Amino acid sequence: MPTFRRFARDRAAVVALAVLLVVAVACSIGGPVASTLLHHNGEDLFPYAVNDNLRPVGPWTRVPALNQAKILPDSTLAPPPKGAKRTLFVLGADSNVGRDEFIRVLDSGKASLEIGIGGVLIAILVGLPLGAIAGYFGRWFDAIVSRLTELVMAFPLILLLVLVSVRLRPTLEPISIQHVLPPGVLLVALMIGLFTSFYPLRLVRAQMLTLKRAEFVEAERMIGASNWRIVVRHLIPHLVPTLLVWGAVAAGTNILLEVGLSFIGAGVPITTPTWGSMLVTTWGTIYSPHPYNAQAFTPWLTIVPTLAIMISVVALNQAAEGARRALAPRET
Amino acid sequence: MTRVGAFIVRRIFASIFTVLAMIALTFVIFWAIPSSPASFLYPFAQHLYPYQIHRANHVFGLDRPKIVQFADYVWHLARGDLGRQWDGSHVNADQSVTQVPISSYLFADLRITLSLLIGGAVLVLLIALPLGALTARYRNSIGDRAVGFLTLAAICTHPMVVGLILRTVFGDNLKWLPDSGYCTFIKHPVAGPVAGSFFGSTAGCGGGPWPWFQHLILPWISFALLFLALYTRMSRASVLEVMHEDFVRTARAKGASESRVVGIHVLPNAGIRILTMIGMEIGTAIGIAVYIEAAYNLGGLASLAVREFAGGSLDLPVILAIVTMITLVVIVGNLIVDLVYVLVDPRVGGATMRARRSLTEPAVVG
Repeated sequence: MPTFRRFARDRAAVVALAVLLVVAVACSIGGPVASTLLHHNGEDLFPYAVNDNLRPVGPWTRVPALNQAKILPDSTLAPPPKGAKRTLFVLGADSNVGRDEFIRVLDSGKASLEIGIGGVLIAILVGLPLGAIAGYFGRWFDAIVSRLTELVMAFPLILLLVLVSVRLRPTLEPISIQHVLPPGVLLVALMIGLFTSFYPLRLVRAQMLTLKRAEFVEAERMIGASNWRIVVRHLIPHLVPTLLVWGAVAAGTNILLEVGLSFIGAGVPITTPTWGSMLVTTWGTIYSPHPYNAQAFTPWLTIVPTLAIMISVVALNQAAEGARRALAPRET
Repeated sequence: MTRVGAFIVRRIFASIFTVLAMIALTFVIFWAIPSSPASFLYPFAQHLYPYQIHRANHVFGLDRPKIVQFADYVWHLARGDLGRQWDGSHVNADQSVTQVPISSYLFADLRITLSLLIGGAVLVLLIALPLGALTARYRNSIGDRAVGFLTLAAICTHPMVVGLILRTVFGDNLKWLPDSGYCTFIKHPVAGPVAGSFFGSTAGCGGGPWPWFQHLILPWISFALLFLALYTRMSRASVLEVMHEDFVRTARAKGASESRVVGIHVLPNAGIRILTMIGMEIGTAIGIAVYIEAAYNLGGLASLAVREFAGGSLDLPVILAIVTMITLVVIVGNLIVDLVYVLVDPRVGGATMRARRSLTEPAVVG
């Protein structure tokens, strides 16, 4: 297959794909593996991982492995008992409750990637049929869909997301599958998927408009193929490359949208670790921002989730770019 | 009438029609949404009795025929009156109702958001275009690669995080600039909180161009960074594309210097494409403004919108006013960009050169 060979020769694209695989593996099994190796998990609270100014410990610190501590009358912590076992915090502690930032960033990745990819799948599931019908059959359906698309896309996406997700929250937020789908992920993925389905819809519609005049479609029609057969067997396979490229980019955008929703307080509940909710743990939502406190300020709590997001989104974008180059070598 | 003149007239009429259609459509949609006005009139009621619901409907004028309500709404809208909010209204002893007019704070908030958007857009155009041209001129140099990497990093960081980092470093830590709040452009005598901003406090700020500028530098930079990255990449691509056009080859053949070719022939043409993109992205920009306004506590229309939209019970008049105002900004913005476009490039009366963001260009998160 020349397409795969072209992709394999594209160094940036191969590196991006490799990074993507590493991120995916790290986020899906990295959390449990790290918990086993370090003998604590991302939800365990360590009072000794926070100093008296409520500043979490920095990266690569050994912390007394105690989940509770006595508080002295002057409201400081009693020194840990002699000979207490210590446990390693690779990236330091996450907030004033003292959880392991490293394990949390891995656990968070799972939910964030689920939202990114789930949102894309839902968007394609909704956008593909609507776009195919609008583009292939056209007429009044196309007119309605096109006007609606323009209307919705001109309005700030985040406001629509907030408006609807707040209302569906009581019903959809509790839905979860233990260890696979944390609470709130389905709600956010569904909301993002529905409101971004306009993008694949437009892509599919535009391609359908050109494809339906192609000679092979005419030939199909001459041998008596039904419209359904032409669309499903012959036209939709042509859309796979476009949707693949769009999907990779959109997965990255969705991860960023999740961050935004968390900041607004309309995303996953703060108990579900995602990269967005980790940033919110540090900064607070826009309604209750945490005031700046020079003594407790900890830059790595912003840097770690931001880097995780940046690495995944850049890798997704570069992989998509590589795929596009491999699929359509003549356009640059 | 010239072709350009005809296009301008047609475009203006089309915009007016869109505005009217939008006003009608939003009115229909919003009054179809289930709402409970009585819960605003009786905020402490555990349970709403039918007479209370009836009373609230009468007090807010909702028991009139829909067509009368619509005519009333349009009549007030035409005079710049956006109606009165349900929240915080109460019935006085003489049975009259006191309600907060929405216009009293919405226009102040709109000014804040527009200050942010316009200042940010100027910053983007001033930097993105030359930077894109330079990186296109020195393609594949170290500088080009560095800019390419930095812009990608900026696109892949959330604007709220960018805002919070800049605010913490330059506002809280180094204390070079104010870390939050908005300051009005026009001096006002009262140095107290100004009505209208939900998040921002303008306490202790008397207004004036210089304080206004100081308060907005960081928000502008944070807001511009994302679009700067996008447009630098795009202007690099358009410059590369325009470089191969015939008129550039002709200019070279005439013996024009490299800087003249780029400055006179390539840049304006690449700039036109950027301009059209900006027109199409005003809605997205307002979405980004949500985060920037929140990060710097500016208040503003975007913050107001998100606050109202996320509320448990919907204050429909306010939401209607916000949606109308945002769509109006989008439509008018598009109109202005289109008019500038046709004046700069009279070749087209339409869409021949309209830039499209390529498929793999990362979308923005507004």
